[in-house]
This record gives sequence, C-alpha cells and structure tokens, in this order.
Amino acid sequence: MRIGDAMRRLVPPGSLVLFLFFLAGIWLAISPFAMTTQLSGQHWTAATVNNVTLGTIMMVVSLLGILGYMLFALRDLIRETQAKHGVAEEQAS
Amino acid sequence: MRTTQPALGKYICGMVASLIIFLAGGWLILAPFALGYQPYGADWVSQTTNDFATGIPVAVVALASFVLFFYSLLGSLRAAGVLTARVRPVAQVTAPYQAPQALVPYQTDLDKTLATLAAALAADLTARRQTGSDQQSGQTIDQAVN
Repeated sequence: MRIGDAMRRLVPPGSLVLFLFFLAGIWLAISPFAMTTQLSGQHWTAATVNNVTLGTIMMVVSLLGILGYMLFALRDLIRETQAKHGVAEEQAS
Repeated sequence: MRTTQPALGKYICGMVASLIIFLAGGWLILAPFALGYQPYGADWVSQTTNDFATGIPVAVVALASFVLFFYSLLGSLRAAGVLTARVRPVAQVTAPYQAPQALVPYQTDLDKTLATLAAALAADLTARRQTGSDQQSGQTIDQAVN
C-alpha cells in the first residue's frame, strides 16, 4: 500500500472536521481575551469561565477523536497486512 | 456472504467525539441565558453573539459528522456481513430460447419435464416447417408441369 493510500485511511474527512472543532475550541478559549470582554487582572466572569472550559473540552475531545480514529485505523491496517501475508504464505507453501 | 472481522472502534470513536462536541455546541447556545450574563429583553452582549456564532455551526457540523460516522459504521457492518444489504428488484431479462442439450445435468424434476416439453415443441415446429416447405415445392412443380 502506498503512503498516500495509508494516510487517506488514517486521516479521513471526519478527522478533518474534528480538526475544525479543535480550531473552534482554541477560538472559544481565547475569545474572552481577544474580544477584551475579560479585563486583565480582574476575576474571571461567568462567561469567561464558560468559554474557556468549553473550549478546552472541545480541544481535548477533538484531539482524542482524531488520535483514537488514527490508532484504530492503524490497528486495522496492520491486521489486514498480516492477514494478506498469511494468505500469501499459505498459497506459497 | 463475505464474512470478515468488523473493525468498528474507529467509527465509534468518531461518533462519541462528535456527540460530545454536539452537546458542547448546544450548551454554548444556551449558556448566555443559563448563566445569566445575557439579560432577558436586552440587546445581546458581545459574548452572547460570539457564543451563538460559534455554537450553532459547531452543533450543526457535529451532528452532520455524527451522521456520517454512523453511516460509515453501517457500511462496515454490511461489508462484514453483520447487516444484510437491501435487496433491489432486478429487471428480468428474457433469454433467447436454446434447445436443451443432452449433457446439461438436470437439477430438478421440473427442469427435466420442462426440457422434455421444450424439445417436443421444437421437434413439432421443425416437422411442421418441413411439411410446409414440401407442400410449397409440390405446388411449384405442379405449376411448372401444367
């Protein structure tokens, strides 16, 4: 299998969508400071706590989703390759 | 039916991540009112606008992502033979008639009976054609003699 085909199986369009969620999580976490609704040196408001918490959750979940999919797909790829080698060896013998 | 070991972990992983992010998007939409930093009846503050502008696309895309991962899961289950694919009606094509051959093995009594009947019909048709051509040639000879 070529590297391009393997990468296509490891990183499907769904993982790209999860990466978009990762970017959205980054934006959510920094938005109170970027939009200056959270003043520096002040206690965090409820909106800031909410946005930072949700942004962090989205970043973690999307990263775990991408990595989890990649690991499971890699495991399936290795199993398929081993099965193909096994069949080829049986035919050769 | 092809049977292979289904690999479902990756799809379930994607579905769980999409579901959690969908819930997060829904909470983002509700949060300004639930946490009280958006007063009722007042103009939206910038945090509320930001939460809505982020939460709605996140929820919609996460739902679409969940559905796509779910369909991929169904496809994998079908490929593994766990689920059966829908049977689509196929248009029947009438095959041209072929005379039964003696070497073809008969699988059932019905096949054998039908083949015998078809052979008898074919023989009858051939005999009628031969009779018709004999009569025509006889008439032609009579006309030539007269």
